[in-house]
Amino acid sequence: MTSLKRLRSSSIESDVQRDVDTNVVVVTKRPWNVIVWNDPVTPMTVVVVVFKRIFGYSNNKCTHLMLTVHHEGRAVVWSGERERAESYCVKLQVAGLQSTVEQDA
Amino acid sequence: MPGKLFVRRRDGRVEVRLNDAGRTVIREAFAHVVAAERDPDHDWHLSLNAPINPSKDDDDPLSALARQNEIATNAELSIMTLKEQFLNDAEAWAWLSTLQVALRSIAVVNGILSDEKLESCEHELLEEIRTIQQLLFDLAACF
Repeated sequence: MTSLKRLRSSSIESDVQRDVDTNVVVVTKRPWNVIVWNDPVTPMTVVVVVFKRIFGYSNNKCTHLMLTVHHEGRAVVWSGERERAESYCVKLQVAGLQSTVEQDA
Repeated sequence: MPGKLFVRRRDGRVEVRLNDAGRTVIREAFAHVVAAERDPDHDWHLSLNAPINPSKDDDDPLSALARQNEIATNAELSIMTLKEQFLNDAEAWAWLSTLQVALRSIAVVNGILSDEKLESCEHELLEEIRTIQQLLFDLAACF
Protein backbone atom coordinates (compact mmCIF):
# COMPACT_ATOMS: atom_id res chain seq x y z
CA MET A 1 0.00 0.00 0.00
CA THR A 2 2.81 2.34 0.91
CA SER A 3 4.54 1.72 -2.37
CA LEU A 4 1.31 2.30 -4.28
CA LYS A 5 0.84 5.60 -2.54
CA ARG A 6 4.37 6.58 -3.42
CA LEU A 7 3.78 5.64 -7.01
CA ARG A 8 0.57 7.62 -7.24
CA SER A 9 2.15 10.63 -5.63
CA SER A 10 5.16 10.63 -7.90
CA SER A 11 2.95 10.12 -10.93
CA ILE A 12 0.88 13.19 -10.09
CA GLU A 13 4.01 15.21 -9.46
CA SER A 14 5.44 14.27 -12.82
CA ASP A 15 2.16 15.20 -14.52
CA VAL A 16 2.23 18.59 -12.86
CA GLN A 17 5.86 19.02 -13.84
CA ARG A 18 5.07 18.17 -17.47
CA ASP A 19 2.14 20.58 -17.57
CA VAL A 20 4.34 23.36 -16.37
CA ASP A 21 7.45 22.64 -18.40
CA THR A 22 6.14 21.46 -21.76
CA ASN A 23 4.95 23.69 -24.53
CA VAL A 24 2.22 21.55 -26.02
CA VAL A 25 1.25 22.38 -29.57
CA VAL A 26 -2.22 21.11 -30.36
CA VAL A 27 -2.70 20.25 -34.00
CA THR A 28 -6.35 19.78 -34.89
CA LYS A 29 -6.89 17.53 -37.87
CA ARG A 30 -9.49 18.88 -40.24
CA PRO A 31 -12.21 16.28 -40.73
CA TRP A 32 -13.19 14.80 -44.05
CA ASN A 33 -16.74 15.44 -45.20
CA VAL A 34 -18.92 13.08 -47.18
CA ILE A 35 -20.97 15.17 -49.60
CA VAL A 36 -24.15 14.04 -51.36
CA TRP A 37 -25.08 16.02 -54.47
CA ASN A 38 -28.53 16.74 -55.86
CA ASP A 39 -29.68 15.21 -59.11
CA PRO A 40 -32.97 15.62 -60.96
CA VAL A 41 -34.01 11.97 -61.19
CA THR A 42 -33.51 10.28 -57.81
CA PRO A 43 -36.78 9.96 -55.85
CA MET A 44 -36.66 11.69 -52.45
CA THR A 45 -37.81 8.56 -50.65
CA VAL A 46 -34.84 6.64 -52.06
CA VAL A 47 -32.42 9.22 -50.66
CA VAL A 48 -34.00 8.95 -47.20
CA VAL A 49 -33.94 5.15 -47.27
CA VAL A 50 -30.28 5.06 -48.35
CA PHE A 51 -29.24 7.46 -45.56
CA LYS A 52 -31.11 5.36 -43.00
CA ARG A 53 -29.58 2.14 -44.24
CA ILE A 54 -25.99 3.37 -44.49
CA PHE A 55 -25.71 5.72 -41.51
CA GLY A 56 -28.52 4.48 -39.25
CA TYR A 57 -29.74 8.05 -38.75
CA SER A 58 -33.26 8.79 -37.49
CA ASN A 59 -36.05 9.34 -39.98
CA ASN A 60 -36.11 13.06 -39.13
CA LYS A 61 -32.39 13.50 -39.66
CA CYS A 62 -32.48 11.62 -42.96
CA THR A 63 -35.40 13.73 -44.18
CA HIS A 64 -33.63 16.93 -43.11
CA LEU A 65 -30.46 15.91 -44.97
CA MET A 66 -32.43 14.92 -48.06
CA LEU A 67 -34.18 18.31 -48.10
CA THR A 68 -30.82 20.08 -47.70
CA VAL A 69 -29.53 18.18 -50.74
CA HIS A 70 -32.70 19.06 -52.65
CA HIS A 71 -32.75 22.78 -51.83
CA GLU A 72 -29.04 23.61 -51.57
CA GLY A 73 -27.69 21.20 -54.17
CA ARG A 74 -25.52 19.33 -51.68
CA ALA A 75 -25.28 18.31 -48.04
CA VAL A 76 -22.56 17.11 -45.70
CA VAL A 77 -23.95 13.79 -44.51
CA TRP A 78 -21.00 12.60 -42.42
CA SER A 79 -17.69 14.01 -41.11
CA GLY A 80 -14.68 12.30 -39.61
CA GLU A 81 -11.64 10.21 -40.51
CA ARG A 82 -10.63 10.08 -44.13
CA GLU A 83 -10.77 6.30 -44.49
CA ARG A 84 -14.27 6.09 -43.07
CA ALA A 85 -15.39 9.03 -45.18
CA GLU A 86 -14.17 7.28 -48.35
CA SER A 87 -15.82 4.05 -47.25
CA TYR A 88 -19.18 5.80 -46.71
CA CYS A 89 -18.78 7.62 -50.03
CA VAL A 90 -18.31 4.29 -51.81
CA LYS A 91 -21.39 2.85 -50.09
CA LEU A 92 -23.47 5.83 -51.23
CA GLN A 93 -22.18 5.47 -54.79
CA VAL A 94 -22.95 1.74 -54.74
CA ALA A 95 -26.50 2.70 -53.74
CA GLY A 96 -26.62 5.02 -56.74
CA LEU A 97 -26.29 8.43 -55.08
CA GLN A 98 -23.84 11.04 -56.36
CA SER A 99 -21.31 11.43 -53.58
CA THR A 100 -17.77 12.69 -53.02
CA VAL A 101 -15.37 13.35 -50.14
CA GLU A 102 -13.57 16.59 -49.35
CA GLN A 103 -11.54 17.88 -46.45
CA ASP A 104 -13.28 20.43 -44.25
CA ALA A 105 -12.25 23.98 -45.18
CA MET B 1 -52.75 -2.57 -51.01
CA PRO B 2 -53.81 -2.82 -54.63
CA GLY B 3 -51.56 -1.14 -57.13
CA LYS B 4 -48.35 -1.52 -55.16
CA LEU B 5 -45.56 -3.12 -57.14
CA PHE B 6 -43.62 -4.24 -54.06
CA VAL B 7 -45.05 -5.07 -50.65
CA ARG B 8 -43.19 -5.86 -47.42
CA ARG B 9 -44.84 -8.87 -45.81
CA ARG B 10 -45.08 -9.60 -42.08
CA ASP B 11 -42.44 -12.31 -42.38
CA GLY B 12 -39.96 -9.67 -43.61
CA ARG B 13 -39.88 -10.73 -47.23
CA VAL B 14 -40.67 -8.33 -50.05
CA GLU B 15 -43.36 -9.54 -52.42
CA VAL B 16 -42.78 -8.66 -56.07
CA ARG B 17 -46.07 -7.94 -57.86
CA LEU B 18 -44.69 -7.27 -61.32
CA ASN B 19 -46.06 -8.72 -64.52
CA ASP B 20 -43.88 -9.85 -67.42
CA ALA B 21 -43.61 -6.34 -68.83
CA GLY B 22 -42.48 -4.99 -65.45
CA ARG B 23 -39.88 -7.71 -65.04
CA THR B 24 -38.62 -7.03 -68.57
CA VAL B 25 -38.00 -3.37 -67.69
CA ILE B 26 -36.11 -4.41 -64.59
CA ARG B 27 -34.14 -7.13 -66.36
CA GLU B 28 -32.91 -4.65 -68.97
CA ALA B 29 -31.82 -2.18 -66.30
CA PHE B 30 -29.96 -4.86 -64.33
CA ALA B 31 -28.34 -6.28 -67.46
CA HIS B 32 -27.04 -2.86 -68.47
CA VAL B 33 -25.42 -2.36 -65.04
CA VAL B 34 -23.65 -5.75 -65.24
CA ALA B 35 -22.50 -5.06 -68.80
CA ALA B 36 -21.33 -1.53 -67.96
CA GLU B 37 -19.30 -2.73 -65.00
CA ARG B 38 -17.48 -5.27 -67.18
CA ASP B 39 -17.10 -3.27 -70.39
CA PRO B 40 -15.09 -0.02 -70.31
CA ASP B 41 -16.64 0.97 -73.66
CA HIS B 42 -20.22 0.71 -72.39
CA ASP B 43 -22.07 4.06 -72.31
CA TRP B 44 -22.76 3.70 -68.60
CA HIS B 45 -19.22 2.70 -67.59
CA LEU B 46 -18.07 6.24 -66.73
CA SER B 47 -21.12 6.97 -64.62
CA LEU B 48 -20.34 3.87 -62.53
CA ASN B 49 -16.81 5.15 -61.95
CA ALA B 50 -17.44 8.69 -60.75
CA PRO B 51 -14.65 10.28 -58.68
CA ILE B 52 -14.63 9.64 -54.94
CA ASN B 53 -12.21 12.45 -54.10
CA PRO B 54 -12.30 15.00 -56.95
CA SER B 55 -9.34 16.92 -55.51
CA LYS B 56 -7.03 14.05 -56.42
CA ASP B 57 -5.99 12.94 -59.91
CA ASP B 58 -6.66 9.31 -59.07
CA ASP B 59 -8.83 7.76 -56.42
CA ASP B 60 -7.55 5.17 -53.98
CA PRO B 61 -7.57 1.96 -56.09
CA LEU B 62 -8.86 -0.09 -53.14
CA SER B 63 -11.90 2.16 -52.75
CA ALA B 64 -12.55 2.03 -56.50
CA LEU B 65 -12.23 -1.75 -56.48
CA ALA B 66 -14.57 -2.05 -53.49
CA ARG B 67 -17.16 0.02 -55.34
CA GLN B 68 -16.79 -2.03 -58.52
CA ASN B 69 -17.18 -5.30 -56.58
CA GLU B 70 -20.23 -4.13 -54.65
CA ILE B 71 -22.04 -2.73 -57.69
CA ALA B 72 -21.32 -5.92 -59.65
CA THR B 73 -22.38 -8.15 -56.74
CA ASN B 74 -25.66 -6.26 -56.31
CA ALA B 75 -26.40 -6.38 -60.04
CA GLU B 76 -25.62 -10.09 -60.32
CA LEU B 77 -27.71 -10.93 -57.24
CA SER B 78 -30.55 -8.89 -58.74
CA ILE B 79 -30.38 -10.81 -62.01
CA MET B 80 -30.25 -14.15 -60.20
CA THR B 81 -33.43 -13.28 -58.28
CA LEU B 82 -35.26 -11.69 -61.20
CA LYS B 83 -37.97 -14.35 -61.41
CA GLU B 84 -38.58 -14.61 -57.65
CA GLN B 85 -41.94 -13.71 -56.23
CA PHE B 86 -40.46 -13.01 -52.79
CA LEU B 87 -37.15 -11.32 -51.98
CA ASN B 88 -35.33 -11.33 -48.68
CA ASP B 89 -34.04 -8.04 -47.29
CA ALA B 90 -30.57 -8.28 -48.88
CA GLU B 91 -32.02 -9.18 -52.26
CA ALA B 92 -34.53 -6.33 -52.12
CA TRP B 93 -31.71 -3.94 -51.19
CA ALA B 94 -29.68 -5.20 -54.17
CA TRP B 95 -32.66 -4.52 -56.44
CA LEU B 96 -33.08 -1.00 -55.04
CA SER B 97 -29.37 -0.18 -55.36
CA THR B 98 -29.06 -1.57 -58.88
CA LEU B 99 -32.22 0.15 -60.11
CA GLN B 100 -31.01 3.45 -58.65
CA VAL B 101 -27.57 2.99 -60.28
CA ALA B 102 -29.35 2.34 -63.59
CA LEU B 103 -31.57 5.41 -63.19
CA ARG B 104 -28.63 7.71 -62.50
CA SER B 105 -26.64 6.22 -65.37
CA ILE B 106 -29.52 6.87 -67.79
CA ALA B 107 -29.65 10.48 -66.56
CA VAL B 108 -25.88 11.01 -66.80
CA VAL B 109 -25.43 9.55 -70.30
CA ASN B 110 -28.33 11.63 -71.57
CA GLY B 111 -27.00 14.82 -69.99
CA ILE B 112 -30.00 15.17 -67.65
CA LEU B 113 -28.41 17.25 -64.91
CA SER B 114 -31.26 19.64 -64.11
CA ASP B 115 -35.04 19.62 -63.69
CA GLU B 116 -35.43 21.69 -66.86
CA LYS B 117 -33.38 19.20 -68.85
CA LEU B 118 -35.47 16.33 -67.47
CA GLU B 119 -38.75 17.95 -68.46
CA SER B 120 -37.52 18.75 -71.95
CA CYS B 121 -36.10 15.33 -72.81
CA GLU B 122 -37.69 13.05 -75.42
CA HIS B 123 -41.00 11.46 -74.53
CA GLU B 124 -39.69 7.89 -74.74
CA LEU B 125 -36.74 8.66 -72.48
CA LEU B 126 -38.94 10.50 -69.99
CA GLU B 127 -41.29 7.52 -69.94
CA GLU B 128 -38.40 5.17 -69.19
CA ILE B 129 -37.19 7.41 -66.36
CA ARG B 130 -40.68 7.77 -64.86
CA THR B 131 -41.17 4.00 -64.95
CA ILE B 132 -37.94 3.33 -63.06
CA GLN B 133 -38.74 6.13 -60.61
CA GLN B 134 -42.12 4.52 -59.87
CA LEU B 135 -40.48 1.14 -59.31
CA LEU B 136 -37.96 2.75 -56.97
CA PHE B 137 -40.66 4.69 -55.15
CA ASP B 138 -42.63 1.53 -54.40
CA LEU B 139 -39.54 -0.49 -53.50
CA ALA B 140 -38.18 2.24 -51.19
CA ALA B 141 -41.48 2.17 -49.28
CA CYS B 142 -40.59 -1.39 -48.19
CA PHE B 143 -37.55 -0.18 -46.20
